[in-house]
Amino acid sequence: MSLNIIICIKSVVTSAPGGRVIRTADNCILNPFDRPAIEMALKMREANGGTVTAITMGPDTGSIALYEALALGVDKGVLVTDRAFAGSDTLATSKTLAAAIKKLKPFDLILFGARSSDSDTGQVGPQTAVHLDLPVITGAKKIEFSDKKIRVERVIDEFEENYEMTLPGAVAIDPKAVDVRDTALSMVETAFAKEALQILNLSDLELSIEGLGEKGSPTKLVSMSKVRKKHNCEFIEGSPEEQADELVKRIKAGGYIG
Amino acid sequence: MDFFLSEKQNIVRRSVRSFCEREILPIAREIDQEARFPWEVVEKMGKLGYFGIQAPSELEGAGMDTVTYCIIIEEISRACSGLGLCVTVHNSVAVYPLLAFGNNEQKRKWVPPLAKGEKIGAFCLTEPNIGSDAAGVESTAIRDGDHYIVNANKVLITNGGVADTCLIFTKTDPSAGHRGLSVVVVERGMPGFEVGDLEELSGNRANPVSSIRLSDCRVPAENILGKEGSGMKIGLAALDTGRIGIAAQALGVAQAAMEEGIKYSRQRRQFGVPISHHESMQNMIADMATLVESSRLMVYRAAAKRDSGMPFSKESAMAKLYASEAAGRVTDMALQMHGGYGYIKTYPVERFYRDARVTRIYEGTSEIHRMVIARSVLEEYK
Repeated sequence: MSLNIIICIKSVVTSAPGGRVIRTADNCILNPFDRPAIEMALKMREANGGTVTAITMGPDTGSIALYEALALGVDKGVLVTDRAFAGSDTLATSKTLAAAIKKLKPFDLILFGARSSDSDTGQVGPQTAVHLDLPVITGAKKIEFSDKKIRVERVIDEFEENYEMTLPGAVAIDPKAVDVRDTALSMVETAFAKEALQILNLSDLELSIEGLGEKGSPTKLVSMSKVRKKHNCEFIEGSPEEQADELVKRIKAGGYIG
Repeated sequence: MDFFLSEKQNIVRRSVRSFCEREILPIAREIDQEARFPWEVVEKMGKLGYFGIQAPSELEGAGMDTVTYCIIIEEISRACSGLGLCVTVHNSVAVYPLLAFGNNEQKRKWVPPLAKGEKIGAFCLTEPNIGSDAAGVESTAIRDGDHYIVNANKVLITNGGVADTCLIFTKTDPSAGHRGLSVVVVERGMPGFEVGDLEELSGNRANPVSSIRLSDCRVPAENILGKEGSGMKIGLAALDTGRIGIAAQALGVAQAAMEEGIKYSRQRRQFGVPISHHESMQNMIADMATLVESSRLMVYRAAAKRDSGMPFSKESAMAKLYASEAAGRVTDMALQMHGGYGYIKTYPVERFYRDARVTRIYEGTSEIHRMVIARSVLEEYK
């Protein structure tokens, strides 16, 4: 049996001069945490056959993440975009994504990166699964597929957990689960030669405008400023041996070594 | 007028930068010091398409435009100038002339292994007595039935130590001046093909620059590129394209030097503050950034002109002249900002300073470029 995988990705911003987020083609990239999830999807497709569809919600700059995913080997890109979605927090985002994913049926598995490098919540994956009434496992290191089921390995708090999940279901991938591939130049050409991205607007989704975008977002970003780390320099006195002992003691006390 | 890169070009830049930072940067100092050609990385670059950037997909290339090509060379050179040199020379003066002047059979035979990086290409024009004066080539290819007997002594050949497919500029009619100049494609391993010792270079040391000698080498007549006597045309076309690549290489080195200068100026403290707080350092930072940015505009514009099918000879000469001289100034300033430490091999700026120097010499010296530009401008304003 082949697998139809949907991978939810995000265009993240790499800079916000003066604390203002203005998304442009130059400062948006594919969320680095999505790369291991894409790699996992591609490996599963290589092993089992099927398709990988990448989906993202956001303004036009969302297409950047989709094209990067296509250049890695994803089959199809879907951009969910509408002014009504602007200002969405994770709840409104996951509600919108879930509605869009319903339009992409049939699917077997939805994958997510662990979190995004810009807002860093890790909430959208589990929330989307809940909206779709699907089981979800986070922090997955390994996925094996056979007979409409997956076996998922995750490591948490120094325990290895093994789950079995009947599909369809959702999994968020640990950032270190797999080594990601490099993008070949010919794949970039192929990505842009493919038929244009599929665009889904509010009118394409079975959603009422209530509960979406800024209005439907119980959390709001009030302000953002750069945290300046303070560095304190301290000299350890004594003979070289005493200095080394003191240094080891402090590193141990700080919990940096066991 | 649009000064911005496309989404596709931005994706290529990020992908190449990420590869170079992971695979090349960690070994850049070692391959410079040991003058080692890093096959382990070159093989990976081949698989990613870096050796067939502009070759069409039916010949196993990536089919990209010239602006994107410049971005790739710039990014590789930012990590290692010697490898940037290898890739640009291979693409622009080995693969490109084969595409532009080869017949279908020649293209099918030579381009795919070059585009996949399974074979490395070289452009062999320079001789002990011949540099800028290409018409004076002393190598000969004398017809003997369905072969040419080639005798050539080529020196300072970029990629020479690893090259498999060599474009040899030679006289098929030694009495006919530049009209007797032809290009014969010679492959490593042919009887009479010999690679000389590697040169002990000042910069770009990861590149195996060497001499290549051909002694009574019997080359099949079908290995002639274009036709007899078209060597000058092929050479000029290849160098017009090659110059943009060298300009992009110089730009990459300048960018790397500027980044190191800025980083160091934030770390180094004198008179109680980071030296980046001092006006003299800020002047250098401003000059470096302006030189880098203006080089980039000239390089991309020359490339964009080539992509649009317009004449680009003057623009490519200007870009090469400007970017190479700017790289000289930027690497000098970055070294100066480091003070005495900049003169130590531990710091990468010392390497950038050596790497930048030759960009004013090869693929046409600054002096030749001024001549090309002046001729073109005088023609324009007559």
